[in-house]
Amino acid sequence: MKFRAKIVDAACLNHFTRVSAMIAKLAKTCALRISPQKLNFILSDKVASGGVSMWCELEQENFFSEFQMEGVSTENNAIYLELTSENLSRALKTAQNARALKVKLTNKHFPCLTVSIELLSVSSSSRIVTHDIPVKVIPRKLWKDLQEPTVPDSDVSVYLPVLKTMKSVVEKMRNLSNHLIIEANLSGDLNLKIETELVCVTTHFKDLGNPPLASEDASQDRDPAQMAEVHIDIRKLLQFLAGQQVNPTRAVCKE
Amino acid sequence: MLKCGMSGSQVKVFGKAIQALSRISDELWLDPSEKGLALRSVNSCRSAYGCVLFSPLFFQHYQWSTSVKVNENDSTTSNLNCKLGMKSILPIFRCLNSLERNVENCRIFTRSDQCKVVIQFFCRHGIRRTHNVCFQESQPLQVIFEKNMCSNTLVIQPRVLAEAVVLFTSSQEEVTLAVTPLSVCLKSSSDEPMDLTNSVYSEMFVGPEEFDFFQIGVDTEITFCFKELKGMLTFSEATHAPIAIHFDFPGKPMALSIDDMLLEANFILATLADEPSRASSPQSLCLSQKQKRSDLMCSPNNNSKTGKNVTSKAPGCILRKTAPKRLHPNETQTDVPALENCGSPIMKRVNGDISEVPESSVSDTEEMPGSSYLRKFSCMFFGAVSSDQQEHFNHRFDSLATASDTEEDMNNVGCRK
Repeated sequence: MKFRAKIVDAACLNHFTRVSAMIAKLAKTCALRISPQKLNFILSDKVASGGVSMWCELEQENFFSEFQMEGVSTENNAIYLELTSENLSRALKTAQNARALKVKLTNKHFPCLTVSIELLSVSSSSRIVTHDIPVKVIPRKLWKDLQEPTVPDSDVSVYLPVLKTMKSVVEKMRNLSNHLIIEANLSGDLNLKIETELVCVTTHFKDLGNPPLASEDASQDRDPAQMAEVHIDIRKLLQFLAGQQVNPTRAVCKE
Repeated sequence: MLKCGMSGSQVKVFGKAIQALSRISDELWLDPSEKGLALRSVNSCRSAYGCVLFSPLFFQHYQWSTSVKVNENDSTTSNLNCKLGMKSILPIFRCLNSLERNVENCRIFTRSDQCKVVIQFFCRHGIRRTHNVCFQESQPLQVIFEKNMCSNTLVIQPRVLAEAVVLFTSSQEEVTLAVTPLSVCLKSSSDEPMDLTNSVYSEMFVGPEEFDFFQIGVDTEITFCFKELKGMLTFSEATHAPIAIHFDFPGKPMALSIDDMLLEANFILATLADEPSRASSPQSLCLSQKQKRSDLMCSPNNNSKTGKNVTSKAPGCILRKTAPKRLHPNETQTDVPALENCGSPIMKRVNGDISEVPESSVSDTEEMPGSSYLRKFSCMFFGAVSSDQQEHFNHRFDSLATASDTEEDMNNVGCRK
């Protein structure tokens, strides 16, 4: 198994750092899948009641100027690694003004992802910083658990409002209740609601827009004003919102 | 007796010095002399010492005098032997930025009759804040360490060191500095094999041109405590002065110092000695466990700077599991110098060769007439700051564990009297 990649562009490096910071906030350990075209950060939590799953996909061409990998075998040309996401995030944070960043899979007594950074210092001499992040190779028999999740067909899909706004609303609601009700309809309305014995608080977002429907037949006969609702654990939602560091062009909520 | 005054911005530097010393220990000596006001701190296992000396020019006004005590037969002059708890003094200098903004003047003076140090802040809008801090009578320790005799010296801007320090997590206990004439490398060090699979190993290479002064006499790798380095770094950022690092071979203490016109700061840290190859016998294991670091030695007086070898009668061991003990101020005249030995929990390597290790045992800082004793040791010593105090010492070789008279010594394993 081999993997080596290099980032030279500052903007790409910045973006990659922010993605890894976001992953670090969402999950303590995650799986990293390396395939010829893509890099994936995967978290699959099998907890039945409200476990969080995450699947993050990066096109390697968008980030790396050089990318070479050799998977476990030719038929299974992928590498699955398990690592502590905080370690990667912290290592990348030290690369803020780097001239170049190289990542490679190494074996120094145990498998590591070695991040090697060439920093340009003020006195125009370069400093080399190296971080060896310990990783575990995930055996092939566990790969099936880490495949791309299929997003089930939804009743309603709506674009989310600015995540920062949503986060501050949800944060305040967290103090009142552990469960949040999200209601959305096909007219671009989204409601965030909590209900307790003493009080009921609802925040309404209007005119959000709906993404084009994937399957026309399922929702054709649905009344656009009719709300679909789900109950979720507010803390998990907050964890997701708090982790957002990458400004999305679009965030979609499906119910 | 001490009486001094400083302005708001000077209070900030003073406060930063206290904060840096608080990383070393929970106790602080205030030690005025004609050279200026020294703040000293030693950690309980004597593996780190910090001293910040503010020259009289630093202050707006500075007055100092010794007190003369008349005993039955003679009169002895004594310095202000003032030891303060960090818990008392650190909160006073907590919000340094706001202190700098609001404080116009600060006065510090002592009232020996009541064993108090009074710190007064004259703030804006006519507000005056007075803090009375009780101190304990205790003779300060001073390290005698010839930093200019070290074969390796590096002088670096604090900013560069700060950038290196950022690489390591705060849970990193020790770091290793490896030098060759061509490069300097700061890397994380970990003794336990268990740690390796969980923690990130980081290293940073810095070229010689980044240093203000670069002199490497001998290629070496020294390992020392990270927390103490960070303490020194935060202080140096306040003074904007470059940090000089003096060191030699592993086992010999290293010095981090800042020399400015108005103040001089020295942090002397013990470094991990090299691992020997042979196995140690139980006896030497016991002894050598305490010799894992070249402990800074303490003796109440400056003398016998001999390089005598540690004999087997050297003080008994403090085993690894002993938590580092605090210095307990002994106000009562007990005969027990606390043998604080470094059972520092981070010391892991065993040095079986006790005859070579510059080891030290610590004798107490308290003024114990006739009770302190001197052990053999190493290249570094602590001496009492006021050496006009004639103490005679009995060279005593005690058995490994002796019962203590006083309560605090009950806690010190292998402590002797």
